[in-house]
Amino acid sequence: MNIQEIKSQRIGDSYFKIDHPTGLVIYVYPKEGYNSAYAIFGTKYGSINTNFSVDEGNQITVPDGIAHYLEHKLFESEDGDAFVRYAKTGANANAYTSFEKTCYLFSCTDKFDESLEILLDFVQDPYFTAQTVAKEQGIIGQEIKMYDDSPEWRVMFNMLEGMYKNHPVKIDIAGTVETIAEITAEKLYEVYNVFYNLNNMVLCVAGNVTVEQVLKTADKMLKPCEKHKINNYFEDEPYEICEPYIEQSFPVSMPLFNLGFKEKADSMLDVQKLAYTYILLAMIASQTSPLYRELLDNNLINSSFSYELFEGPGYCSVIFGGESRAPKQAAETIKQYISKLKNDGLDEADFEISKKSVYGDAVSSLNSVSSISNAITDYHFSGIELFSYIDAIADATFEDISNRLSEMLDVNNCTLSVIRQEE
Amino acid sequence: MMTAINRNEIAKGVFFNSIKDNRFKTMKITANMIVPLTKENASANALLCGVLSHSCKAYPDFTELSRKLSSLYGADLGTSVRKIGDNQILRISASALDDRYVFDGDSVALELSELLCNVIFEPNLTNNAFSETDVEQEKRQLLDVIDSEFNDKRIYANGQLIKNMCSDEVFGIKRFGTAEKIKECSPQSLFDTWKNLLKTARFEIMYVGESSSKKAEEVFANAFNGIDRQPQFVNTEVVREASEPKHIIEEMELSQSKLVMGFRAGTSIPDEDVNATRLMCAILGGTASSKLFCNVREKQSLCYYCSSSYDRVKGIITVDSGVEGDNIKKAEQGILNEIEEMKKGNITDFEMNATKMAIVNSFYSTNDTVGGIEAWYINQLFDEKFQSIEEISNAINAVTKEQVIAAAQKITLDTVYVLKNK
Repeated sequence: MNIQEIKSQRIGDSYFKIDHPTGLVIYVYPKEGYNSAYAIFGTKYGSINTNFSVDEGNQITVPDGIAHYLEHKLFESEDGDAFVRYAKTGANANAYTSFEKTCYLFSCTDKFDESLEILLDFVQDPYFTAQTVAKEQGIIGQEIKMYDDSPEWRVMFNMLEGMYKNHPVKIDIAGTVETIAEITAEKLYEVYNVFYNLNNMVLCVAGNVTVEQVLKTADKMLKPCEKHKINNYFEDEPYEICEPYIEQSFPVSMPLFNLGFKEKADSMLDVQKLAYTYILLAMIASQTSPLYRELLDNNLINSSFSYELFEGPGYCSVIFGGESRAPKQAAETIKQYISKLKNDGLDEADFEISKKSVYGDAVSSLNSVSSISNAITDYHFSGIELFSYIDAIADATFEDISNRLSEMLDVNNCTLSVIRQEE
Repeated sequence: MMTAINRNEIAKGVFFNSIKDNRFKTMKITANMIVPLTKENASANALLCGVLSHSCKAYPDFTELSRKLSSLYGADLGTSVRKIGDNQILRISASALDDRYVFDGDSVALELSELLCNVIFEPNLTNNAFSETDVEQEKRQLLDVIDSEFNDKRIYANGQLIKNMCSDEVFGIKRFGTAEKIKECSPQSLFDTWKNLLKTARFEIMYVGESSSKKAEEVFANAFNGIDRQPQFVNTEVVREASEPKHIIEEMELSQSKLVMGFRAGTSIPDEDVNATRLMCAILGGTASSKLFCNVREKQSLCYYCSSSYDRVKGIITVDSGVEGDNIKKAEQGILNEIEEMKKGNITDFEMNATKMAIVNSFYSTNDTVGGIEAWYINQLFDEKFQSIEEISNAINAVTKEQVIAAAQKITLDTVYVLKNK
């Protein structure tokens, strides 16, 4: 078994990457003096993986929302519910499904070994029947409706609809009440057997733990998996957006907007490009920027304003958003500012400030066992190493950021989504 | 293990609390200013808190202050306004990378403590008034925040419950007061609000970090020199028992209805049985193995979330859920049934032990974040004394089933608020 120590000279922290013989990659990040430990068992399988084949076999299409449905149902096994088992250890357990992954997690301050055993056991032990599958329709139906009433959620999905012609990232993670009605126990087993293969998964633990401790339970609980080739199919996605403007009226008193710049997404960003993008976005839109000030002085945004890089297999975009009583004007101001930067160039003082700020944020995130585990899981699935990301920030130069700007944020390729007040 | 707290009264009603901890990459210093919650002053206080944090005499311009903070490795100056019982807590906090992790050997910690002191004691004033532009900007943003609370229907529904349930009590005042009162504030009136705050608020300054807090403590002690301190304290009014339950229904174009139920717990601090009520509330709906989760969600498939929480200062328990419009009655009945079961004593040993473990686990987890350590103490501001995680965990573990049943028997339904989908 290969155990590799990954050490940051800059920060002084280190963690371990283990290639387990069963095919699973395991990360352990011990945090001295911590009471708690946080574990994630995740699979590279999310809401966008609705079209796939195994070992070059037939292409299979499954209903929208099935990854999330599976996440809910995996908690049940023939002899009861995983939450009831966790109740005996005191661990706080949860799970989530995103566009490109599904993660099962717990945090605890006591009985870590027992809790890890429960996690590894129930995720490897599916149990679906017609009856248990039917029972979940009502619960997930209410989860979908809760999101239907969320203006933040709607404003984002409307924007994704406007940006993406084919990519399934535009489809709600939980699906719809109609698509989840098509889900059966057989279909759940079908996707489970493809994607819940240890070769497609990762286990990540941070906190009050040791490598030996994790491996002891892993050796006992993990069931070896035969490696298969999974192909995920996404229809070709054009570079261009579909709709520049989408609006919906809603019972809100503060209108909202999301302005999304569609980016090229032929491959995932490498660690340098990722670091440069975050520095660039801080230079453009953080509270220190002239743009933020202009938007504020003209009453176009408030403190809810934010920006993010939104990236995954086959999709990449930059989103600016928040509450605004004049969303079109806010979007126009952002676009004009970016055009101006592209013409006149960036400011070197902005670069120095933003670099320190992005660096500080990245190092601060190492305080938290949940941030560490989630970050390593994310980075594992996109082929990036945590400390090399921090180094890439520290080593970034002004030219790097200027070059990055020249290849992204096309002001002629963005979608504005607005949630406006009902009249 | 719990990190020890060192507490000094550095001026009348001004406490400097420091917690030395070398596990974190960051340090954090927070000024908590505690004032009585009043209709007259809540809005002005909340507005002032925002104005103070966005500029100061040394950095009169918002962008300049932001740039200063970012150059301190992404330091953050944040504010929040909340209420605990009949008190309003205004909070300005500064956090940044610990000195060990910066590039060029600067002392971020001390600089940040000074900056926090500056924004509170040396604001950007001209002729005993704040800047008109700053005040107008802050007013607009605070009015936006009030409006945005309506955007999130779960927050809105919980707010509506408290507003209706406590309409005749101080606690019914919202943490930001009202839009009307915010609009009435002027650059001159805020100057008086500020003076009054420095004179009358109870200050709880919290410092968490590896670097020594001695200098920061001196900076604050000096700042209070020459201020005539007359701290004001209020006791929270607690209604122990509800009379006939009120039912309130509001209709809206929504996909899902929200059901929020408010109960009088009959127990609040400093009563001895608060920990029994705490445990009782968690058994009811505080965990993924709680009665509400197992029955109303899992067995009856009525909702995605159904949980309860206990405000031990005000003595209120709330239960909230998102359900189908046609299922509101069923869910309400389901929740009342679970409470009835507890009153009858139907609580298993498994529920007792599992919930105790879950609570103790969550306590110890808070000790692993800078914010959690601080919150642990802030949440005890109105308790008789600060207690460690170990002390409160022991108290929770000592609660008996009989005490939990007794706690359940004390709760009475006060108000049911429904936001119904049309």
